[in-house]
Amino acid sequence: MEHREQRSNRRDFLSKLLGAWSLLVVAPVAKVILEYITPRTLSETRRETVRVASIEDLALNTARIFKVGKDPVIIVHTASGQYKAFNARCTHLGCVVQYTTEDGPPHFGCNCHGSQFDTNGKNIVGPASRPLVPYKVIVRESSILVVKT
Amino acid sequence: MLTLQQSQRRIYAWLDERLPVRAVIEFMSRKTVPRHKHSFWYFFGGLTLFFFCVQIITGILLALYYKPTPELAHESVRKIITEVPHGWLIRSIHSWSANLMVASLFIHMFSVFLMRAYRKPRELLWVSGVLLMFLVFGFCFTGYLLPWDTTAYFATLIGTEVPRTLPIIGDWGVSLLKGEEEVGAETLSRMFMIHVTILPLIALLVICFHLLLSQLLGSSVPSGAAERKPATPFFPNFALRDSIAWTIGALVLFILAVMKPWELGPVADPYASAPAGIKPEWYFLPLYQSLRMAPATLLGVSGELIVNLLAVVLSAAWFLVPFFAAKANAQRGSRLFTVFGICLILYLCVTIILAYTT
Repeated sequence: MEHREQRSNRRDFLSKLLGAWSLLVVAPVAKVILEYITPRTLSETRRETVRVASIEDLALNTARIFKVGKDPVIIVHTASGQYKAFNARCTHLGCVVQYTTEDGPPHFGCNCHGSQFDTNGKNIVGPASRPLVPYKVIVRESSILVVKT
Repeated sequence: MLTLQQSQRRIYAWLDERLPVRAVIEFMSRKTVPRHKHSFWYFFGGLTLFFFCVQIITGILLALYYKPTPELAHESVRKIITEVPHGWLIRSIHSWSANLMVASLFIHMFSVFLMRAYRKPRELLWVSGVLLMFLVFGFCFTGYLLPWDTTAYFATLIGTEVPRTLPIIGDWGVSLLKGEEEVGAETLSRMFMIHVTILPLIALLVICFHLLLSQLLGSSVPSGAAERKPATPFFPNFALRDSIAWTIGALVLFILAVMKPWELGPVADPYASAPAGIKPEWYFLPLYQSLRMAPATLLGVSGELIVNLLAVVLSAAWFLVPFFAAKANAQRGSRLFTVFGICLILYLCVTIILAYTT
C-alpha cells in the first residue's frame, strides 16, 4: 500500500517535471517566433527639408500628392495664394485623401468613409477624430520644400 | 484469377483488419436525417462545404501562376486572366465561390440560430461553426489584397488599420498584420502565406471536427416542430438530395462566373487618392457602414473604438450563444433570442443597403 502511494507520488512529481520542462522548451521557442513575426519599428524619420516640387507644378487652387520618405504628402496652393502641406493619410483609417473644390468650400475629402478636412487640415465632417498631420512648407526661389514638423 | 468481386472483398477485408471500416459503414447506413417543416435549411451546411471545396481546388490552380510581390502580383493575375488557358474562368469561379460560400454560410448559421440547433449537446458544433465563419472572413480578407489592384490595396489598408484602436493589442496586431509601417511587400507576402497555409490548415482541422460532431450528434429537430416519421435515411436519400443542392450551387456559380467574370482593377498606387465610391465586399459592409456612421467622438471616446469594441463583444457573445440560451436548452422557445437574431439579420441587411445607396 505504502509502496503504491510512493509510486503515485513519484509519478505526480515526474508529470509536473515534464510539464515544467515542456514550458521551459515552449516558452523560448514561442518568444523567438513572436519576435520573428513582429516587425521592427523603424526610428522616426529624421527631421529634414525635402524639395518636392517647383511652384509651376501647382496652379492656384489645386493640390498634388508627392512621396516624402514613405509618406504621401499633399501640397495645396490655396485660392489665397498660400502653400500648405499635410500627410495625405486620412487620420481615420489611413486612406489617401484628395483635394476638392466641389461641394462647398475647398477641402480635403476621404473617399473611404467620407471624412472631410478644411484647408488647415482640421477634421470637419465624418468619422475622423484628428486633424491631418501638417508639414511646414518653405518656398525658396521657385522650389517648394517641406519639413516634417 | 480473381474476379472483381473477390478482389473487392479482399481489399475490404484487408482494410477492415486495419481500420474500423465495418463500424463506419454500419454507422452511416443507420444514419437518418429528421423530417419536419424546416428540413430544407439542412442543405446549406453541405452547400457551404461544397463552395469551400471549390475554393481549395481553384485556389491551388491559381497559386501555380500567382506571384506574391507588389511588382509581380497584379501582372501575374492579369496573365492568369488573359494568357493562361481558362485562367479567367478559374479566377472568376474562385472569387464568386468565395462570395457564395459566405452567403451560404450566413444562411446556414442563422437557420441554426433561429432553429436553436445549438442546444445541448450541440454546443461545440455551434462554437466550431462560428470559428469557421471567422476563418472564412480571414480567408476573404487575406485573399482580397492578392490581386494588388486599387480596391484591394485600399480595402486592406483600412482593414489592417481597424484593430489599431483596440486597447493593449491594437498597435501590435496592426504591425503583425502589415509586417511594416505601410501596406507593402511585407503585407502582401504575409497575407499570401496566411491565405494559403495557416488558414487552410486550421480550417481543415475545424471542418473535420465540425463534420465529425455533426455525424455523431446528428441533425437537430427545432423545438416545437412536429417530426414526421420515418426519418430520411442519409444514404442514399439525403445524400442524393444533397447532391442535387450541390449541382444547383455549381450551376449558379458557373453562370455567375461566366456571365459576370470577376474584374481586375488598375494596379495599386499607394500614393494616389482613394478612388471615389470605393467599398469593401458586401460581407464587410456592415462593419464599413458602422464605421462610417459612427460619430468622431462620443462622450470623449473615439467612435471607431466604440464600433470596434462592440464588434469584439458581439463576436464573443455569438460564440457563447449556446451557453446563454438556458431556455432553448430546456427545449422551450426563447422569444428574446429570436428577436435578437432577427434584429441582427435586419441590421446586417440595412447597413449593406445603406452602404450601397449612400
